[in-house]
Amino acid sequence: MSGTHKVSMTVNGKTVTGNVEGRTLLVQFLREHLQLTGTHVGCDTSQCGCCTVHLNGNGVKSCAVLALACEDANVVTIEGLANGDKLHPMQEAFREHHGLQCGYCTPGMIMSAVDMVNRNGFELDEKTVRKHLEGNICRCTGYHNIVLAVQAGAAAMKNS
Amino acid sequence: MSLTPKNHHIGQSVRRKEDLRLITGKGRFSDDVNLPGQAYAAMLRSPHAHARIRSIDSRKALAIPGVIAVLTGTDLRADGIKHIPYNVFTLHPAEVQLENTDGTPPFVTPCYSMAIEKARYVGEVVAMVIAQTVDMAKDGAEQIEVDYEVLPAVTATRAAAEPDAPRLWDNAASNVCVDAEVGAKEATAAAFARAAHIARIETWIQRVTGVPMEPRAAVGEYDPATQRYTLHAGSGGSVRLKKDLALILDVAEEKVRVLMDDVGGNFGTRGMIYPEFALTPWAARRIGRPVKWTCERHEAFVSDFQGRDLAVTAELALDADGNFLAMRGSNIGNSGGHTGSFTPLQKGVEIMSSIYRMPCAHFRARSVVSNTVPTRPYRSSGRPEVMFVMERLIDIAARDFGFDRVALRHRNLLKSTELPYTNPFGMLYDSGDYHDAMDKSLTLGDWAGFAARKAEAKQRGKCRGIGMANYVDTATGAPRERAEVTVHPDGRVDVVLGTISNGQGHETSFAQLVTEWLGVPFDSVRLITGDTDIVQVGGGTHSGRSMRMGSVVIWNSAKEIIAKGTRIAARLLENDPSVIQFDNGRFKVQGATPSISLFEVAAAAQRLKDLPDDLRGPLAAFSDESFNEASFPYGCHVCEVEIDPALGTLEIVKYSAVDDVGRAVNPMIIHGQVHGGIAQGVGQALWEQCYYDPASGQPLTGSFIDYAMPRADNFPFFDAEFTEVPCTTHPLGMRPAGEGGTTPALGVVINAVVDALSEFGVKHIEMPATPERIWRAIHDSKNIV
Repeated sequence: MSGTHKVSMTVNGKTVTGNVEGRTLLVQFLREHLQLTGTHVGCDTSQCGCCTVHLNGNGVKSCAVLALACEDANVVTIEGLANGDKLHPMQEAFREHHGLQCGYCTPGMIMSAVDMVNRNGFELDEKTVRKHLEGNICRCTGYHNIVLAVQAGAAAMKNS
Repeated sequence: MSLTPKNHHIGQSVRRKEDLRLITGKGRFSDDVNLPGQAYAAMLRSPHAHARIRSIDSRKALAIPGVIAVLTGTDLRADGIKHIPYNVFTLHPAEVQLENTDGTPPFVTPCYSMAIEKARYVGEVVAMVIAQTVDMAKDGAEQIEVDYEVLPAVTATRAAAEPDAPRLWDNAASNVCVDAEVGAKEATAAAFARAAHIARIETWIQRVTGVPMEPRAAVGEYDPATQRYTLHAGSGGSVRLKKDLALILDVAEEKVRVLMDDVGGNFGTRGMIYPEFALTPWAARRIGRPVKWTCERHEAFVSDFQGRDLAVTAELALDADGNFLAMRGSNIGNSGGHTGSFTPLQKGVEIMSSIYRMPCAHFRARSVVSNTVPTRPYRSSGRPEVMFVMERLIDIAARDFGFDRVALRHRNLLKSTELPYTNPFGMLYDSGDYHDAMDKSLTLGDWAGFAARKAEAKQRGKCRGIGMANYVDTATGAPRERAEVTVHPDGRVDVVLGTISNGQGHETSFAQLVTEWLGVPFDSVRLITGDTDIVQVGGGTHSGRSMRMGSVVIWNSAKEIIAKGTRIAARLLENDPSVIQFDNGRFKVQGATPSISLFEVAAAAQRLKDLPDDLRGPLAAFSDESFNEASFPYGCHVCEVEIDPALGTLEIVKYSAVDDVGRAVNPMIIHGQVHGGIAQGVGQALWEQCYYDPASGQPLTGSFIDYAMPRADNFPFFDAEFTEVPCTTHPLGMRPAGEGGTTPALGVVINAVVDALSEFGVKHIEMPATPERIWRAIHDSKNIV
């Protein structure tokens, strides 16, 4: 397990490099090497979705990707979603529709929701949203307001 | 959302202050804390449910590169670290106290932060490895050699209560720690003797776990210069954590500081101190560096406190007309490997009769230890269990004796004119309109139209069922709370409060109160919690206490600030205080135009040298109060399910909730908590359980793959409404709203499931009502064609 390897990738628009072990996960690289602590770890079996980020435009659970496998990749985390001070429409929708309580699952939820829109378009019915959120667990909200937020965020993305 | 706020006052669905940081990844949770030079801890946990520890050999672990230290229970005791100070009962004066019938004191186990001589559940900490990195610490833990003598284990609640069960504690006569009786035994027996009908249930409200999404984490520090410990760890309250930590570390309270920022959920299971919260600061002192520990999810399943686990046998006596005459039975709670809290047992048994007219009752209440993870209060501690029992008994009585379920409830539900009402266990229900909540809920759930929907479902080969459940929810908790409110001349208002938010939006709701009462801009209010060097007094978030108590101490402080401000304004406006009025953040002379703001008054208080002593300096006030009365939130939920009898699969097609909150501060936040509470209750009713292998005591639910967490596609949108009948034991009329979602959910869901299965002759189904269990219930029933 000893020995580190150099890795470089683009994270939130910036080129970053680091020395990581073969076993270092992308989420560990983000949190521990880059101090991007907005990406959370809620489990150890890739079930909860708290660590969801975008890897080359696709939503992935960053606990299920090795950092070394992301050489030259383009990674976007919750910290990179807003355009400067202007929130992403999905972030705005989560606030407006009270789609969060403790906020721990929220970064993963929002990243997953944006990915859902990218895959399914802006018109998301309730069933599609609920199905797609199967890989993101929330314990606070009963999902009610998260589903409303995702639908509203998707509609807002269309107009943005 | 249609709940558009008009302003930032009480009653408005103000969007939350805390959200901006949480939606941009800038929240600060426990694992986000890193200190220079920190080392990392990994816990070696017992792989056996019950085992004597013959010896621990750490030599191979210490040889692993990067491993700094290996600490065991022996080191802990040698260092004089004390046991965990558990407060096993709620001593709130409104609560019924449990005393052993034989007059002996309850058996309270001596629990240390690491196993001493014996491990009593899989997951108990046996050793702690400190290393340069987490991975090195884990590698070290794998190399520790522990010589265990494996002992017979018992995990099931009723089995643990048996006299011949494997015994956890050598110095106790049995595993039964509490054996009390409540109510009137003879009167109850007499009532049963004259009953026309007796409904019976024997059930087990199964073991579940809280699963806050943020795993626990702790960073411990020790400063040898000041001999002071600092702990960074999310919890349900900072002050209690500090006090407990000082007792464990055996130092004065001022030698301990607890810090926390964002806390990722609690639901009760994060409410009390954890072993690792004492181990990390202790280890920091031992090695001279900060020590960080982060719980992994698989570890949480064997070390986070678990909840529920109550075995109940109960009977309800009715006369020929359906009037309730009495109820009796026996409740056995399961404390797990150590006796951490008897509160769920206590808070349940005292309200077995719910909000129904019940002339008398008698229950035996026991608590046992078993080779399972220790339990603690879990969302609405003890009440969902007993509401489940009562609401099941009513449905069983209705079905067995030919009563209509709604009419039977209407007949026995207390009328508002009967309140205040003392229930047969001695609990005093203050106020409410229970019939109104029930009627509204039945309307919301379209009970009247159900028959048509059932018939339609039948045509599709599906079985529909509908259920209802009334509930009451005793809110007590640590009685003392304190607020300190300071108005700064630069336009800020600081509120120091002794509770802490674990996701409930305190920064927003409490700011609404200050905006309402002091007329200051919403954004000017800053809530300060989570640092025990600033927050001296407070009980934390549990038992619906944060808003219930926080509102009063903030209200008192606001009134004093206005009183002080009035006198200062009188001086500035050159008039008598009696003619000064305060309105919307400004003072003025009645009938006159010139006015000055609260902030200008605060500036004057600091500027003017000739003010009386009590007005000079910062414009501030504090209130420190103890609340000795309970509050009783109540409501009624209706649930409708559709079952595919071929597969046993179930869909919740409609869930309607009416909860009384007395007076709503932020409807959006209240609805959010109700939604989440419902999901947790439904989760228990249909999917969740901590399974233990009965032979070995091994936990079988160790990850999200095995433990069935509710997911987004398990639910419909909820229809949630609230009523506002002012609570007479609260000066502002407020009733807690955080637990009501969960309290009736177990009963209402199972009532709906049994209703759906009634055509097969199914009379009861145990929780969790999984598809397998439903399928078996259908196939085991005699009426199957």
